[in-house]
Amino acid sequence: MRGRLLAIAGLVAVVASAWLTSGATARPSATPPLTIYAAASLTEVFKALDGAQHFSFAGSNALETQIRNGAPVDVFASAAPLNTQRLFKAGIVDKPVTFTANRLALIVPKSNPAGIRSIYDLRSKPVKLVVAAPAVPAGGYTLSVLRKMGLSSVLSKVVSRESDVKAVTGKVALGQADAGFVYVTDARPVSDQVSVIRIPAWAQPRVRYEIAVVTKSPNKTAAQAWVRMILSAKGQTALKHAGFLPLPKASS
Amino acid sequence: MPPGELVSALQSDVAKDALVVTFETNLIALALILVLGTPTAYWAATRQSRFRDLVVTLIELPLVLPPAVAGIGLLAAFGRLGLLGGTLDTLGIDVAFNKVAVVLAVTFVASPFYVRTAVSAFEALDPTLPAAARTLGAGPGGVFFRVALPLAAGGLGAGAALAFARGLGEFGATIMFAGSLQGVTQTLSLAIYEQFDLDFDVALAISAVLVATSAATLLSVKLVTRWRSTSSSPIPSVASSPLSS
Repeated sequence: MRGRLLAIAGLVAVVASAWLTSGATARPSATPPLTIYAAASLTEVFKALDGAQHFSFAGSNALETQIRNGAPVDVFASAAPLNTQRLFKAGIVDKPVTFTANRLALIVPKSNPAGIRSIYDLRSKPVKLVVAAPAVPAGGYTLSVLRKMGLSSVLSKVVSRESDVKAVTGKVALGQADAGFVYVTDARPVSDQVSVIRIPAWAQPRVRYEIAVVTKSPNKTAAQAWVRMILSAKGQTALKHAGFLPLPKASS
Repeated sequence: MPPGELVSALQSDVAKDALVVTFETNLIALALILVLGTPTAYWAATRQSRFRDLVVTLIELPLVLPPAVAGIGLLAAFGRLGLLGGTLDTLGIDVAFNKVAVVLAVTFVASPFYVRTAVSAFEALDPTLPAAARTLGAGPGGVFFRVALPLAAGGLGAGAALAFARGLGEFGATIMFAGSLQGVTQTLSLAIYEQFDLDFDVALAISAVLVATSAATLLSVKLVTRWRSTSSSPIPSVASSPLSS
């Protein structure tokens, strides 16, 4: 009995010390991974571009609040200039730069239970519509599209306001909702589950993504290098392949 | 935050709507839990069926499951493309993004808190009392309603209060299964989550309401158990269930 207990204690000690030392030796003197907070719509492209960093993807508004409350973050990439600019004015991030753009689309499940063929069908047919909450960039852009198309009345058919655009995508891909407004880039990874209904160019909002280094980042050089990588040909090509639009020339 | 501001933050439409949605859905869920859970608990406590352990395990499962798993499970079962989705659809029952979805989520996560406590309350009954009632001519229904139920009432009340406290704070399964829409599916917890990066004061005020309600509920459990232990003989022990959320 006593011998067995000792053996178990020894085993626990060996496992624990192996675990403790593995943490110390796994990255010998290499640069620690950056903590990057990014808009949910950047999930697939950022992970594919650089799997070595620590990412947190969510609605840009939620990330802004977390950074404002002192989250230890090196880089913030937002789906709307509003969130980065507010942090810049508060002195929390360095000057943000525009790094890509996007378009909005309406997605419906492949089975299309509500029979939506155009945006205007939202007005005439009974439909469970899901959107992002108004404070989430995608939600704000959705409101602007509906306003431009004179369709603000379809907001009465909204059954859920989600906390980020990926939650909207998921609810439609699962078939729980009949339709949802997301970025065209969100539809691509789930293209086997959803159909995309285009929004005319004249109604498209100006979806501009900004990226900024957090002023208090302890890894500022690495963070700045990472932002440069996103702006470089490598980063821009990856974004283009994911369906993002090239950097708008006039702005930024 | 001074109490005055707290009260005025609670006057916001978001907070008022969330209060109504939460209490409406939770009272319906509690009624469901009582109606379905009490006979189940009585059965589990009095019958020596070989399915007993299996049934009790299934009932207890939501206690230890992460809310995210509960959300996925509800979607897989009751979602429009889920196992029962087609059946519900032909029956004309719609459980997507409405109060029915919230009630289902709350019932799922809160029911084990009641059933577990109810099983031990029924088990703690003196078995000679129902037997005596039978010899005096009471049928099985009479024994249940006129002997077992009144004797176990304290334990059942405590279980109901625990289930209610758990249901009030339900978050994960609800946001995944029912979505979030003010006045329809947005419960207090979902409103806190939404207001957190919009209006922190409102989020704080709603949180304070939940703290107060939960504390009051737990306190009432203790008072009820103490009152039962001084007033009647069999003391059903309140199962010390982990109050996870």
